[in-house]
Amino acid sequence: MDTLSLILLTTISPLACFIIAIIFLVQQPRIAQGLVLCGSAVSLLSAIGLLVQGPVEPLRFLWFQSGAIQLQFGFILDGASLMFGVVVAFITACIMLYSIGYMAHDPGKTRYFALLSFFAWSMLSFVYAVDLLQSFIFWELVGLSSFFLIGFWFEKPEAAGAARKAFLMTRVGDVGLFIGILIILQLVQNFDIPSLLDPQSGLSTQISPGMLNAITLLIFIGIMGKSAQFPLHTWLPDAMEGPTPVSALLHSATMVAAGVFLMIRLHPLFMAAQDTALIVLSIATFTAILASTIAMVDTDIKKVLAYSSIGQLGFMIMALAAGSLFAGVFHLITHAVFKALLFLCSGIYIHAYHTNSMAEIGRRGGRRLKATTFGLLIGGAALSGVPPLAGFWSKEEIFAQLGHNGFNIYMAGAFLAAFLTAYYTFRMIFLITKPDHAPASDHSHPEPMNMKAPVLLLTLGAIVLGFFGSNIAQGLGLMPQHHSVILMIPTVGIVILGILIAYFDYGRDNAPRTGFISKIAPLNTLFTNKWYIDDIYRVTIVAITHALSRILHWIEDHVLDGNYDRFGLGILRTGAKSTRIQGGWMQLYLGWAIILLAVVALYLGLR
Amino acid sequence: MTLDSYLLVGAALFSLGLIGALSHRNLIALLIGIELMMNAASLNLMAFNRFVVTDPTTGQIFVLIIIGLAAAEVAIFLSIILRIYRAYHDIDAEKLTKLSG
Repeated sequence: MDTLSLILLTTISPLACFIIAIIFLVQQPRIAQGLVLCGSAVSLLSAIGLLVQGPVEPLRFLWFQSGAIQLQFGFILDGASLMFGVVVAFITACIMLYSIGYMAHDPGKTRYFALLSFFAWSMLSFVYAVDLLQSFIFWELVGLSSFFLIGFWFEKPEAAGAARKAFLMTRVGDVGLFIGILIILQLVQNFDIPSLLDPQSGLSTQISPGMLNAITLLIFIGIMGKSAQFPLHTWLPDAMEGPTPVSALLHSATMVAAGVFLMIRLHPLFMAAQDTALIVLSIATFTAILASTIAMVDTDIKKVLAYSSIGQLGFMIMALAAGSLFAGVFHLITHAVFKALLFLCSGIYIHAYHTNSMAEIGRRGGRRLKATTFGLLIGGAALSGVPPLAGFWSKEEIFAQLGHNGFNIYMAGAFLAAFLTAYYTFRMIFLITKPDHAPASDHSHPEPMNMKAPVLLLTLGAIVLGFFGSNIAQGLGLMPQHHSVILMIPTVGIVILGILIAYFDYGRDNAPRTGFISKIAPLNTLFTNKWYIDDIYRVTIVAITHALSRILHWIEDHVLDGNYDRFGLGILRTGAKSTRIQGGWMQLYLGWAIILLAVVALYLGLR
Repeated sequence: MTLDSYLLVGAALFSLGLIGALSHRNLIALLIGIELMMNAASLNLMAFNRFVVTDPTTGQIFVLIIIGLAAAEVAIFLSIILRIYRAYHDIDAEKLTKLSG
C-alpha cells in the first residue's frame, strides 16, 4: 500500500470506530469493544507498515489560505513520528485488550471503549501532525479525551473533580502554548513545522534570540502543563481517579507523552534558544527530584506510579534540554512501555484486591499473582534502571548527555532522582512481595488471560527494548553514541544503592517497614504533604479565584441582575396598578368617554 | 320655532339618553339610552340643516345614514346581548366583568 492510505488507516480507523461505537453500539458493548479493538489493530498494523517503509517526505494538504498564511493538514513521516506512532498504537492496543477484562462489568463499557479510541485518534494525529496549528488542535483533543476518561466514573465526585483539575491545569499551560504559536504566526506567517525548523531558513534564523527565547518559553509552558512539570504537575496524581487502564494510557504513550513529543518535534528551536534550554533543564531536574521524593512516602500504588511518571518525564525533558534528541526519544519510548506495564500490573492488583494501598495488597497475597508480580518486578527494575532492562539504557544515555555537555549540577540532580527512583520502586515491590504478615486465606481469582497477555507482552518489551537504542538513533538519523563504561559504574552504583536501602527498609526479614526518611521528621512531613504545593495553590490561587468569583457573583446578583430585576418588576407593578382602570364595567368606560368628549368639546368651544 | 328650541329638545333628549345609558344595569335599557342619544344627535343635525346650511339634502342624507346604521347596530347589539345571555344567564352589565384587569 502507498504511504497515504497507510497513514490514513493509522489515524482514521480509531476515529471511525469511535463514531460508529458511540452512535450505533451503545446497547451492544460486546460488539463495540470488538470493533474498537479491531480498529486499534488496524491502526497498529498500518503504523508498523509505515515504519517499515521508512521516513519519507511530509504529506501536506492545503486546508485554507488567508492572505499569505497557509493552513495545512498533513503528516510528518520522519523517524520520531514513525517510531512513536507505533509505540502509541501498540500500547493502545495492549490497553484495549487489557480493558476487556478490567472493565468487564462496567455499565458504561461502550462509552469507555469509544473514548479510548477517540484518545488514540487524537494522539496519533498529534504525533503525525505537520502543521503547528494542526498540532495544537490535536493537542487540545488529547487533553479533552483525557478529561473524559479521567472523569469516566463521573458520578464519583473525586473523579469529576480530578477531571476538572486536569483539564483546567493543562489549560493554563495551553494558554502559554497558544500565545507562543500566535507570536510565531505574527512574526513569520508560517505554521509548517519542517520549514520552521529548517536550519538555513527556519524560525531561529529569522527572529532575534530574545524573541526565540520568549516563544520557546511560552511553548514550554504548554509542555509543562501537558507533561506535568513543576509547577503545573499537581493534576497528574489526581488523575489516578480514572480507571487504571486509562492511567496506564495517560502516563505512557498519550497525554503526558504529548508534551515531551512536542518538545521533540520542536527540538531545534529549543536548542537555538539557549536561555530557555537552561530554564527548562532546571525545571525538569527540580521536578524529577520533587516527584521522586513524594513517591518515596506515598502509600497508594497508583500515586507512586503517577509521581514516578512525573519524575521520568522530568528525565526526558532534561535530556532534550541538555541537547540530546536521541536520549529524549529513547527514554520516552522505553518509559512508555515499562510504565504501561507497571500500571497494568497495579490494575490487576487493584482489580483482585480492591485496594490501592501497597501494604494491603501485600498482606492480601499480592505475590500469588505470579505473572503480574513478574511483570511488576521487570517493570520496576526497568524503571529503576537495572541493567540490562530498557530503562537502564535510556537513562544511561541521559546521564551521558548531561555529563558530556558539562551540566554537572543537573547531573548531580539527575543522579539523586535516579537513586530515589530505584529506592521508591523497590519499596513498592518489597511492600507487595514481602508483606509484614502472611496473607490470610486465598480468595483471589487468577488474572484472566486477556489481562495477562498484554502484561506479558509489555514485560517482553521492557526486557528487550533497551537493546534497540542504536536502531532508534538511526531512525532519528543520528549516530548511535558509544556507552562509556566509566559513567556506567556510578549509574549502576546508585541504582544498587537505592535497591539496597529499600531492601534494608522494607525487604529483609524484621525490616522496620518505615523509610529512612521518616528519621528526618521535617523532610518526611514535607514529602508526605507533597511539598504543600496543592495546599499553597488552595490558599493562594484557588482562594483568590473563589473570592473574585464571589465578588463577581455579588455584582451580578445585586448590580446587573438586581437592576434588570428592578426594571422588570417596575413594569410589572405599573401594569398591576394600571389594570385597575379596567374594571370591566363598561358603563364606567362610557361615562369616562363622555366626560372626555365634553372636556374636548368645551375646550374647542371656548377657544 | 327657532334653532335654539330644537337644540334644547336635542340636548334634553341626549341627557335623558345619557342618564339612561349610565344608570341602568340592564343591557337592553342601556341600548335604549344609546338609541336616544343617537336620535338626539339626528335631531340636532336636522335642526342645523334646517337653519344653517343652504343645501337641505346634506343633512337629510346624513340622518338617513344614521338611521340605517342605528338599525344595523341594534341588530348587532341585540345578537350580542343574546350571546351574553346564553353564556352568563344574565344581562346585568355590572356582572359582566370578565375583562377586568
